[in-house]
Amino acid sequence: MARTFCTRLAVAAVGFAVVFGLAGRSAQAALDVVVGARNVVQSEPVSSCDSKASRALISVLGRAAEIGDTHEWKGAGAVDAAGSSFAAAAVHCYPLDGTGYVVTFTCAAQAPPAPESASVICSQLADNFGGQH
Amino acid sequence: MNPRTRRVAIVAAALLAGVVWYAPAALASVDLSVGIRKLSDTGSLADCSAKAKASLEAFLVEASETSPGSGDWIAHSTNGVAGTPTATAVVRCLALSKGYVVTFTCAVQLPDNPYGADALCLDVAHKFYGGAITALAAIPTPTPMPTGCATNSLVGTWVSDDKPGLTFTMDLTGNVTDSEGVSGNWGLKGTTVTLTYYGNHTLTLSADGKHMHGDGYSLTRKC
Repeated sequence: MARTFCTRLAVAAVGFAVVFGLAGRSAQAALDVVVGARNVVQSEPVSSCDSKASRALISVLGRAAEIGDTHEWKGAGAVDAAGSSFAAAAVHCYPLDGTGYVVTFTCAAQAPPAPESASVICSQLADNFGGQH
Repeated sequence: MNPRTRRVAIVAAALLAGVVWYAPAALASVDLSVGIRKLSDTGSLADCSAKAKASLEAFLVEASETSPGSGDWIAHSTNGVAGTPTATAVVRCLALSKGYVVTFTCAVQLPDNPYGADALCLDVAHKFYGGAITALAAIPTPTPMPTGCATNSLVGTWVSDDKPGLTFTMDLTGNVTDSEGVSGNWGLKGTTVTLTYYGNHTLTLSADGKHMHGDGYSLTRKC
């Protein structure tokens, strides 16, 4: 009887330890914001920037939306059960005189629990954006 | 239910209980504000940078340019309750053939930060090019460690009145350690002190918080 109780207690303690260990790590999260790359692209319309921005944000974070009709794009990472997201990024497209545009990347993360730092997110966005043709 | 199934059920229940217990900690999230942009037909990149720095410093601290002459500026809030900044704003200036364009992007950590990213970005942008400024709530500061002689805490060093050389160091977590390395615990409710040290003892804290007596102990706070 006592042995059974001790076994149950030990098993429950393991369960608590797992949860508390995970939760303990998330309690040390900090806001991480990075000013990412700024690239000038010649001979392409700003609509091309819009398309690439949308696809890059979806590819890296999962979601993308343009703020009105501004050529400014916002993406957010996966949402947890409580409706919270721990990673986000902005891609700004601005048309230049003649043809071409400038694009900038700005990223934010709360890591942990976000799996990647803001710096990594911005690098992935820039790579994904530049790799599209 | 066989023993193995029962064990799995216990683990599941424990995990669920732990998750429920820690649910409030999981509510934090990153709030990003994007979309405020201003085009100026006049002015140089240096003009934009000067205004960017001043606008950021009006609400945040340590405004800096990511690299000299880049026109990319970033600043953050003071430390929140967790000891790290909970808000950051980025102002990026881009020189045009005539004038410049500037964008504003802000991120805050909720619920630790007392205001949203939109409110911060709107204020920084309005400071830059003019507009109504809405007061932002102060960032909650980390709880300071009691430094001694605080009547609501015993944290600090206590000296025995009748045993020369004997001192007690009481910390924020309720631990007490004497000058010979023997440890115990302390508790305070009103003016009643519970000292677990070679048994349980009940003492009374004086009104000025500088003395406690009882149960064979007489201690004075070393401020």
